[in-house]
Amino acid sequence: MTPSPNDIDRFERIVLPHLDDAYTLARYLLRDPHEAQDAVQDAALRALRYFETYREGDARAWLLAIVRNCCLTRHKRARAERANISFVDDVDVVYEGRATDARAVEQSERAHLQRALDGLPPEFREVIVLREIQGLSYREISDVVGVPIGTVMSRLARGRRRLASALGYDAQQAG
Amino acid sequence: MICAECRELLDAYIDGELPAADAAAVREHIASCAECAREHAALAATSRRIGETLVKYQAPDVLKARIRVALAQPDPLASTAPSGGATSVTTRRLAFGGLGIAIASSILTFAVVRGVAPGRSPTDEIVSSHIRALMPGHLTDVASTNQHNVKPWFNGRVDLSPPVPNLDSIGFTLIGGRLDYVQERAVPVIVYARRQHMIDVYVRPSVGDRKESNGEMTSSARNGYNVIAWQSNGMSLEAVSDLNRPELEQFVKAFNASR
Repeated sequence: MTPSPNDIDRFERIVLPHLDDAYTLARYLLRDPHEAQDAVQDAALRALRYFETYREGDARAWLLAIVRNCCLTRHKRARAERANISFVDDVDVVYEGRATDARAVEQSERAHLQRALDGLPPEFREVIVLREIQGLSYREISDVVGVPIGTVMSRLARGRRRLASALGYDAQQAG
Repeated sequence: MICAECRELLDAYIDGELPAADAAAVREHIASCAECAREHAALAATSRRIGETLVKYQAPDVLKARIRVALAQPDPLASTAPSGGATSVTTRRLAFGGLGIAIASSILTFAVVRGVAPGRSPTDEIVSSHIRALMPGHLTDVASTNQHNVKPWFNGRVDLSPPVPNLDSIGFTLIGGRLDYVQERAVPVIVYARRQHMIDVYVRPSVGDRKESNGEMTSSARNGYNVIAWQSNGMSLEAVSDLNRPELEQFVKAFNASR
C-alpha cells in the first residue's frame, strides 16, 4: 500500500515531533551514534508502513515501541556479525586537556553513571532510560516494552537498586 | 503498613504512580521507620542523579533530513529496506526521486551562497552545501550508479574533469553527481552512499603550486560532519559525510587508489 500525501502529512505532524525521543532511546540501547541514526530511520519508515495501525493516542509511546524493536533487531544482527566484540562506544567520552575541575568532575560523574547504566541487563536498562531520562509513565513504558505494568515495576525496582549500589548509596538489593 | 509492603511501593511512590491513599500510607510509614526512610532516600537520590546527569539527545539534523528525504519520495515504502544489502536500491530511488527539482535547487543554492558573508572558509561552505544537499530533492543532478554516465555529464559544465571511480566492490555505492556552487565558482560533486550515509566529494582545481602535498589527507569535523581534504593531480578534493572517520578515510584511500 502506498501512503497518500494526506497520510504522510499526518505522519509528519504526529510522529516526527518525537524524533528526539526516538534517537535518545536508540542511543542508550545501542550505545553508538551511527547505529542509533540508522535504527531511527528504519523505525520511521516502519512506522509509516504501519501507520494505519496507529489509533488516536500516545504517538510517542507508539513510535518508541517501534524504535525499540528496530534496536533489538540491529543489536542481534550486530552480535551475530561480530561474535565477541562488544560495541561500546567511546565517541561521546570527550577528554579535554584543560577541562576545568568542575567540568572534569561532572564528566567523570557522567561517565561513571553511564558505565553503571551500560552494565545493567538490557531489560532493566530500557525501563530505567524510559522512566528516568525520558520521563514516561508506567502505563507508557508498559506499552513500549510490551509487558504488564507489574513487570515494569519490578524491573524498574531491581534496576534502580543496582544503580543505587553502583553509586554507593545504601540500598538493599531487591530479589 | 509493614516494612515489606512499604519497600514494594517505594519506587511507585517516588515516581508519583501510587493512588493517593497508598502514597499517604507510605509517607506515614517512612516518617516513623528509619530503615525504610534510608531506603527511600537512596532510591530517590539515585533517580534524581540519573535524571540530572544523563542527557536526552537531540536527533541530528542529518537524521531528520534523511527521514524527510525518504518521505518525499513518490513511494517512500518502496525504500523501506533496512540498511545493508539493499543499499544501492534504496539510494538509487532516493536519487531518482530528487531529479525533478534538482535543477531549480542549484539555482537556489547559487542564490543562497551568494548571500553568504565574505570570510567564511571554504570548508564551512562545503559542509553547509552538503547539509543542504541532504534536504529533499537536492542530492543529485545526474542520478546514476554508472561512472560512465556521471563523468561525461560534467563535460561543458565545469572546466575540470572530476574523477568518478567505481567503489561498489568495497561497499561505497556511486549514486550520482551534482553541480554545486562554492567560493563563487561551479564545483562538481560526486555522491556516494555507504549504508544510509551520504558522502559528497567536492572537486576543485588546486590553488597555487601544491603538488608536493599529493596524497596527504587533512581531517576536520564541523557540526558532526567529518571532512577529509586532499590534493591529487592538480585538484583539490574534499569528502564530507556523517560517516565515522575511519570509514571515511578508507573511502578516500580507495577513491585515490582506483583512478
